[in-house]
Amino acid sequence: MIGNRRSIQFDSRVRRLGFGVACCLLLVTSPALAHPHVWVTIKEELIYAPDGALVGVRHAWTFDDMFSAYATQGVSARTKGRFTREELQPIAQLNVESLKEDGYYTYTWIDGQKQNVVFGDPTDYWFDYNPDTSELTLHMTLPLKAPLMAKQLVVEVYDPVFFVDFGLAGDSPVTLVTAPRQCSASTTRPGGSPAFVPGFNQLFTTSEANIGMGMRFASKISVQCP
Amino acid sequence: MSWFSESANSRDGARIAAMLVAVLALGCLIVVAADTHSASAQTPFGAGRSVPATGFLGWIIAKQAIFYRAFSGTIRAAKTDGSALWTLMGIAFAYGVFHAAGPGHGKAVISSYLLANDETWRRGVVLSFASALLQSLTAVLIVGIAAALLGATAKVMGDAARTIEIISYGLIILVGARLLWAKGLGFIRSVRELRGQRRAHAGDASNHGAADHGHVAEAHDHEHADHHHHDHDHEDAHHHDHDHAHDREPNALPWGHAHGPEPQELGGPGGWKRGLSAIVAVGLRPCSGAIILLVFALSQGLFWAGAISTFVMGLGTGITVAAIAIVAVGARAFLNRFASDEVSYGSVLVRAMEVGAAGLILAFGALLLTGYMASERLTAF
Repeated sequence: MIGNRRSIQFDSRVRRLGFGVACCLLLVTSPALAHPHVWVTIKEELIYAPDGALVGVRHAWTFDDMFSAYATQGVSARTKGRFTREELQPIAQLNVESLKEDGYYTYTWIDGQKQNVVFGDPTDYWFDYNPDTSELTLHMTLPLKAPLMAKQLVVEVYDPVFFVDFGLAGDSPVTLVTAPRQCSASTTRPGGSPAFVPGFNQLFTTSEANIGMGMRFASKISVQCP
Repeated sequence: MSWFSESANSRDGARIAAMLVAVLALGCLIVVAADTHSASAQTPFGAGRSVPATGFLGWIIAKQAIFYRAFSGTIRAAKTDGSALWTLMGIAFAYGVFHAAGPGHGKAVISSYLLANDETWRRGVVLSFASALLQSLTAVLIVGIAAALLGATAKVMGDAARTIEIISYGLIILVGARLLWAKGLGFIRSVRELRGQRRAHAGDASNHGAADHGHVAEAHDHEHADHHHHDHDHEDAHHHDHDHAHDREPNALPWGHAHGPEPQELGGPGGWKRGLSAIVAVGLRPCSGAIILLVFALSQGLFWAGAISTFVMGLGTGITVAAIAIVAVGARAFLNRFASDEVSYGSVLVRAMEVGAAGLILAFGALLLTGYMASERLTAF
């Protein structure tokens, strides 16, 4: 008798406890979501050898003004507010070394197959500073370790943890350099444009500033060759 | 075991169910810890590329980014237009409220901490705001000293932030380890109590005298094992005295509250000191967004505006974290009803939950320290 009564009470207690534990779990695990702190507008050049093989990718990445101010902090310039390429070379080197750890945020697929360790260390790289927009642009050429022949090539530029938001430039984001004639490039934007900065009255109405809020935030370049 | 056969089948069923819930809960904690890792770690191509961008969370991420992007234009405007400063404060506040949803603002650590410790909601709120404002202060100090005074480069600031971050994660591990130790002891103690109580029951059923002997012997053991729980053990002995009455009238006797939190664990003067370790552990780590904002403000000759914005941002962050903390305290209060109940399974389970929460803090710290759980980076780029 007693045992029975206790067990009924206990069952409901277990259920309630389960509910409590579930609540706690939800609470503790509300996912930690990063949002971008750095915005980069990218222009890409794909460089081909005479035989039609891809031999390199030339990046031109323009950083937003806040990050540009952060990156150039403490860099001394002969003319205030104007940085020369030489003055910026130490931070260019620093950033390129740091980028290496992240695989230069450049991912390559050939005929639907993901390629690992495609790129060697950049052959040349430098920063340009635009005093009008206070923006830095990183120029960097990534040589391929081995030339690539591909019917379908996909290059994606993105940061897997989405601290950096890469977006294709508005006009001519991709150039094929000395590519076979029949090759053609197309781009897929995750939506929005990295250059878009909302005005105050748009703050509460816009949903565009964070590109890639769709499921995929990679800026994708596809090249088709016959 | 005589008590085992004595107990009704239904009781065994309940016991098994209780253990199952405990195992499931702990299992979930582990899965969740692992999941948090894989969700934000730098995974190879494929796994890490999509973010849950739809629904409420997607909306939060989008809002943060929108507010963040509005900083630069507003700071520029503030150079010539004083009223833009108010806009700046508004944006900073809103950004802070949304930004607390992002990683690195101690939601997970603070709510785990509040689940493990039976704190008041007021303390939870203070804890949240204090850690958020400390986080602002760290950012202002790093940029103020390194950049504004010493003219240091981004690399120097990044390194400083990284060092502080490592210290912060180390402290989170220490807080977690300390809690795990204390809560682990509490768990073991409550299991022993449960066993002792059951043994006494068994004695009641078969041989009264023999059970008494066994029981006295056990109480003796306890006293030798851990001296500072002396009082508690006395109470434990009392429980068994009341057992007969309690079987007849389940909720009549208040003896159960010995199973609740120990007096020294409850609020009181010592609690603030304990809370301080959590505040420092969580709040030490500066927020990368604040550092970038401050450096930008400095470049525009408006460092002070950036500093005020950073504190306003901290206030906004504090609100969100405090709201989550209040939910944690509420959940804990809800669970406490089981701890003070007459059958000790509930209390054992609550103890197990405390151990789980403490373990989670330790796991968070370890994952953050080893870089498996990515937090916002602020290396060169």
